[in-house]
Amino acid sequence: MKVSFRWLQDYVDIDVSPDVFAERMTMAGLEAEKIEHIGDSWDNVFVGLVRGVSQHPDADRLVLADIEAGEHQLTVVTGAPNIAEGQKVALALAGARLIDAYADELKYKTLKPGKIRGVMSEGMACSEKELGLSEEHEGIMILEPDAPVGVPLKDHLGDTVIEFEITPNLVHAFSMVGIAREASAVLDSDLRLPAVADLSNHASDDELVMNDAPGLCRRYIGVVIEGITVEPSPSWLTARLTRAGVRPINNLVDITNYVMLETGQPLHAFDRNLIETGRIVVRRGRVGDQIETLDHRIRDVDESTLLIADGQKTVALAGIMGGVDSEVVDSTTSILLESAHFDMVNVRHTSRRLKLRTDASTRFERGIDPELARSAAQRAVRLILDLCPDARVVAWNDTYPAPVEQRTVAMPFSRIERVLGIPVEADTVLDVLTRLEMQPTIDEENDSLTVHVPTWRSDISIPEDVVEEVARIVGYTELPATLPTGTTPVVERDPLFLLERFIRRTLVSAGLYEGRSYATLSDADVDQWSTTTSISLTGEIPSSNLVRLRNPVNSERPILRPAIVPSLLDDIATNLKHQTQVKLFEVAHVYSGTGEGELPDEPSHLAIVMAGHRHELSRFEAGSGGHDELDFWDVKGVLDTLFDRLRVPATYKPVEHPALHPGRTSQITCAGQALGIVGEAHPRIATGYGIEQRLSVAEIDVTVLMALRPDLDGMQITADQYLPAEQDFSIVVDNDAEAGRVEEILRRGAGPLVTDLVLFDVYQGGNLEPGKKSLTFRVTFTAPDRALTDKELAKNRTRIERALSNELGASLRS
Amino acid sequence: MTDGSHGLSARINEVREQAIEELKSVSDGETLRDWERKWIGPKGEITSMLRSLGSLAKEDRPAAGRDAQALRSKLEAAFTPVQELIERQQMERRLAEESIDVTLPGRRPDIGAAHPISAMIDELIEIFAHLGFQAVFGPEVETGRYNFDLLNIPADHPARDVWDTIIIDDPAAEIVMRTHTSPMQARTMERLDPPIRVIVPGRSYRYEAQDASHEWMFTQLEGLAVDTNITMTDLKGVLQELARQLFGPERRVRLRCDFFPFVEPGVDFAVDCAICNGKGCRVCKHSGWLEMGGAGMVHPNVLRGVGYDPEKYTGFAFGLGFERLVMMKYGVDDIRAFNGNDLRFLKKFATVTI
Repeated sequence: MKVSFRWLQDYVDIDVSPDVFAERMTMAGLEAEKIEHIGDSWDNVFVGLVRGVSQHPDADRLVLADIEAGEHQLTVVTGAPNIAEGQKVALALAGARLIDAYADELKYKTLKPGKIRGVMSEGMACSEKELGLSEEHEGIMILEPDAPVGVPLKDHLGDTVIEFEITPNLVHAFSMVGIAREASAVLDSDLRLPAVADLSNHASDDELVMNDAPGLCRRYIGVVIEGITVEPSPSWLTARLTRAGVRPINNLVDITNYVMLETGQPLHAFDRNLIETGRIVVRRGRVGDQIETLDHRIRDVDESTLLIADGQKTVALAGIMGGVDSEVVDSTTSILLESAHFDMVNVRHTSRRLKLRTDASTRFERGIDPELARSAAQRAVRLILDLCPDARVVAWNDTYPAPVEQRTVAMPFSRIERVLGIPVEADTVLDVLTRLEMQPTIDEENDSLTVHVPTWRSDISIPEDVVEEVARIVGYTELPATLPTGTTPVVERDPLFLLERFIRRTLVSAGLYEGRSYATLSDADVDQWSTTTSISLTGEIPSSNLVRLRNPVNSERPILRPAIVPSLLDDIATNLKHQTQVKLFEVAHVYSGTGEGELPDEPSHLAIVMAGHRHELSRFEAGSGGHDELDFWDVKGVLDTLFDRLRVPATYKPVEHPALHPGRTSQITCAGQALGIVGEAHPRIATGYGIEQRLSVAEIDVTVLMALRPDLDGMQITADQYLPAEQDFSIVVDNDAEAGRVEEILRRGAGPLVTDLVLFDVYQGGNLEPGKKSLTFRVTFTAPDRALTDKELAKNRTRIERALSNELGASLRS
Repeated sequence: MTDGSHGLSARINEVREQAIEELKSVSDGETLRDWERKWIGPKGEITSMLRSLGSLAKEDRPAAGRDAQALRSKLEAAFTPVQELIERQQMERRLAEESIDVTLPGRRPDIGAAHPISAMIDELIEIFAHLGFQAVFGPEVETGRYNFDLLNIPADHPARDVWDTIIIDDPAAEIVMRTHTSPMQARTMERLDPPIRVIVPGRSYRYEAQDASHEWMFTQLEGLAVDTNITMTDLKGVLQELARQLFGPERRVRLRCDFFPFVEPGVDFAVDCAICNGKGCRVCKHSGWLEMGGAGMVHPNVLRGVGYDPEKYTGFAFGLGFERLVMMKYGVDDIRAFNGNDLRFLKKFATVTI
């Protein structure tokens, strides 16, 4: 809410600077989001009186204006079409700093006297744009007729506009008077309420308002005023509205807006002659009801909509917007003024349903004080009577069957210390709560504090609310800093997080960078990366389990990702424009729906993507061509290391996936459970993401991995005492035998003493039979309690030979 | 003395002269080894001389043996310095040959870097562990009950508008992307009994247009402490400890009244700017303070909602954004960089994270 510092001082004296004031209000809970100083740059600009205007001798479009401002009398050459004798204008003298109205961005220039078409121009009459007041530069700014000539413009029009953020609990501060009331408590300064008209000396007309929906309309005040003249508002009123960001329209509409800004109570004026049967009916909407609102849109109405109607038709959406059929126009002579209290939830619903938010609805939906309707109505009547000399109240009614009751909060006085951690003196508490108009009483002996909450403070209902009132006015600056005492809770570390951290650290040491991408995917992404049975690359999530967003931020990506890899791919192509090598991973949740009304599962996944050169450019790699492409083996190697370190024995099996290379893709399983997939993207898919290089990816279900990881707590890690024995085994198998299978059999045959097993050579041709290949493994055997003998090793070798020959028909090469 | 022994003695002299003479012309390892083999090696001249002792008269043998041994010693004594010299020369030659331009770049190992947000999460978990806070984690997709209702944000209350919510397309229930990590307050209190001290790092989501300072996906840290005696001074102390661990021991924390439905009293908290020491500069927008997040005493309705007795227990809660924290600490000026996977950006953090 924009608050003019000048205007505010109608209601409260503020003896500190605007900046200090803004800071103190902010500390007390009303955050000043923006402070705009108007007129700070207006040195050498005065209120001037145009004494005379004459034609420029050599230019048709220019005039010479004689302008007086106190001791300054000067001639100004101007092309402003609206200048005329007798006007009050903003006169800038030489040396004034003005905004360059013709510059594209904000730029100041210093005014210098100069000849224009042969005539000396000694100063300038300014436009609003040149003074930074608005974008208006069609003509010069005309000041109100009573502006004091010769006074610096800064003193006359200068102001500070503070924009306060009104949090949802602070409905009582959503007005000039509300801000002033806060200021009076914060600064301990008296509050002055605006002058009002007294309605009680007019007889009430019980026929004027019929409230058929008292549950949704707690109070309705209607005031009929005749003898209205609709005309432009006086300049003080238009100036204040403009500064608050409200466009002036005519005196009647301006007064309702002004009183809303001033008091926080939305008002509406109907043309009384357009209210058929002369009475207001407050009722719920019916099937077939329609209303054309002031924005000239026809709105459909339903049962849940609260309407203001007359004897025949609907005239307003209650608390939101009036209808065009009863709008106040220039010819209006009599009005019906509405000041009412509508249900906050209902206004909010209707406003959301119709996507129609107005100044009125934003106030009603926060829950206004029902008491406010009366004083606001009286204030508006007062202003109407002031501005329209012939106006008179002819009828009024205040329907208010269930007046709001004042709340009392009784609490232990010690609650303040219990919450804040330090005691606050009773005198201070009394002072603060009195400033907040809460009529506090304290009985320290009986540890009691009682307050009577003003009706406008709907946010205060429990002892802690009262504690906050004390704290925010006293301020938190002096609050000491302590640490919680007492028993320290039992600390139990999250095993999934520890595993994720282990993975992150392992991959970083392996040369990968950790990325972070958005949690949503497009339909095209999902289509491309789904198989007939699964939408997650790890194979754990069935296709029916997509989780969709109703209002995605990016409408092209409405799906919560079931896998991470697809969301990293766009960024690879972007990176490859400036990187020779991209090696990224991400650990994040993925989402799998579990049925209507249920939260989805959120397993943790690891994704790895690689593309580009295997080695960064370096003199060491230059000799070998230097540009080997990262491929399947690079990603698989990282996984091998990871699984090794986690002691998870993963097995690989070729698998087909529509987005992946048919010959370079492997499913990863462990103990019969799907753990993930590793492969190179199908070249067609990679190209689709703008990647011409080989693109290698892996996706691992970390939640499954955690379940498979052996419990390390009971594991013994001992220092080896005896030297290991190494033996090489060259195994000749058919060309199409899978190395993984050979390794499995070798490992089984080699027995429990194996501490390391590396496949280090794959050989074909030479003296091997055609159709055969030789796989050479180096196996390390270690016994914890003895040095291994040749005899033991020979026995081992025999066992291995037997296993290979029995299960694979393979032979060992010597 | 026999003729035989005369012959041998002449042979010894001859060998000595010849060997010494030859040794003088030895200049490298190879000729040195040849010399050694020829004269003093196991198959060398001296050895064969000793072998031939058997052909001498018995009484001549000891003297001849002594002479031959003496010759061996003499030749070995002559050999050693030559050997040392040649080895030294060889080493010098090798070292000279192996000399390199040490200013050339080294062979670099490949090391990546953690994401700055991950690294900051690790850092905060460590800081809070010292204060007795345990990290817990929760779902990113939440029910309206946990994301709002149990946090004292009733349906149809304008307070709900503060969180622009991304909603899951579910006809049967209000299911949303969590708008903050606060749902874990209720989840944690439902699972555990006081005393409670937890932090909750995690991704959160809001329906928000993106620009340099707004992201729809971001990372929050929630903090919660509940016990019979938790107060606002404890809240201030914990936040101050956090600020000092992150930004230096001189830092101060400022609490300011603010509104969050799930705390009462509610505050926001800021740390004085480390760049200008609170005097005001470009980084803190001349205010001297950098806003870190929101906090307050857990609202009695929240305690009641999870079955805690608010007359018995009090608690504090706070929330802050990791992106903002990293931006403050390292001067990052565009929040979107955290989700862009631009290696140029990520590599810069290798300086401060691993």
